[in-house]
Amino acid sequence: MLTKRLIFMEIVAIFSVFYLWMTWIFAPPEATLGELIRIFFQHVAPALVSYMAFGVTLVSSVLYLVKGNLKFDILSAASIKIGLVFTTITLLSGMMWANATWGTPWNWDPRETTTLILWIAYACLLVYRASVDDREMRAQFGSIFGIVAFPAVVLSYLSIYIWRTLHPIVITPGGLNMGFEHGITLMFSLISIGLLYVLLLDLTYLVDSAEEKLMKYRMTRS
Amino acid sequence: MTSGIRAALKIARKDIVSQIRKKFEIFSMLLFALIAGLVFSFALPTALVEDLGGEAAIGAALIWVIVFFTGMFGFSPIFLAESESGTLRGLSVAPIPAWSVYIGKVIYGFVLMVLVEIFIIPIIQVLFGFTMFNEEPLLTVVTLLIGTLDLAAVGSMASALTMPSESKATIFPLVYFPTATSGLILLTEITRVLATGTTIVIAVGLTIPILFIALLAHLVAMITLSAVVFNFALSP
Repeated sequence: MLTKRLIFMEIVAIFSVFYLWMTWIFAPPEATLGELIRIFFQHVAPALVSYMAFGVTLVSSVLYLVKGNLKFDILSAASIKIGLVFTTITLLSGMMWANATWGTPWNWDPRETTTLILWIAYACLLVYRASVDDREMRAQFGSIFGIVAFPAVVLSYLSIYIWRTLHPIVITPGGLNMGFEHGITLMFSLISIGLLYVLLLDLTYLVDSAEEKLMKYRMTRS
Repeated sequence: MTSGIRAALKIARKDIVSQIRKKFEIFSMLLFALIAGLVFSFALPTALVEDLGGEAAIGAALIWVIVFFTGMFGFSPIFLAESESGTLRGLSVAPIPAWSVYIGKVIYGFVLMVLVEIFIIPIIQVLFGFTMFNEEPLLTVVTLLIGTLDLAAVGSMASALTMPSESKATIFPLVYFPTATSGLILLTEITRVLATGTTIVIAVGLTIPILFIALLAHLVAMITLSAVVFNFALSP
């Protein structure tokens, strides 16, 4: 198990180095945006991966309610934490982009606002979980909250189609609105950040599971 | 299905009758809404209101902000009262589907909030000098009803979720606000356009129908998800 984990870490490290090379050296400056295009790669991939992280929370919450196995709840909580990290990166990189492109870091644009709502919703979910002492109740009600909070993810994603927004629409059903090198770099960044998410999720799950075992051991001893 | 709906209506009726007898919650909600309206009138001087788009634009959004916060008084005790009085066990073992308990509470929360809105909306319109029912009165009323139902659905589930928590009063806003805000952002947008008198077609092209569809989708999603998982909330 340790060997497999180490091999996976090495793969993620290689992808990460290649990702850095592609976003900062391989991808050329864009015709209109110039070097600002590089913020774009640090923004889109974390955004999509954060949606995926909250989707994993949704699925593991459902699985916990159906099967009652605490490992699904531990996975759900771990995914919320990683999802929040990536949502923070999305918001911060988005603010950098907004400041460089439109002169102010925050415009209360629908996409910005709904992403902030998303961040707050899942941060509140973590605080809620901490407020419930009983382990089974925390898992049960935390899973319910994890399911009910998911529409915020859908609204954040669809906000650029519902409202008139400053946010550019790059990924469309018809394809990518960008040049070949930028398209390849975006695809690669999605894969790299996705792998990084899986690694972080695995490590967080490992730590949280160990903590659970330690808590159980302490309680049985006392 | 019909027996579930009948049970839901009975649960709602029980809570409404209890509220008519006590009157405490509805009066506290009304007074809070009035105080909130007054505070906003201090916070938003006339010159600033003009700069921000006029009375109708501000007032329409304010109504939902006031309703949203008033919901904390109305929705928080929905399940808390059942838990504290020991009647929650009765609901959980009653031979009715769990979703009918949830739907009954949503109906009760909806009726409670509509009663408050009947009083508070005309008052806000007078205080801020605008009317919401200019251009599309029917659509405005429908938006108000759907929005209130949406908030009631979220508020009822939030109340249920606070039951196992140690500090229920502190936790309710943390559960209610993020889940309700998604619907609130749609509601304020639609209501502002309707209240400012700009027509649906000219002002924002196809946006109002899309916003309305998004609002309906949000309502359906929240009620469906909550009703489906409510079985687990009632039987831990």
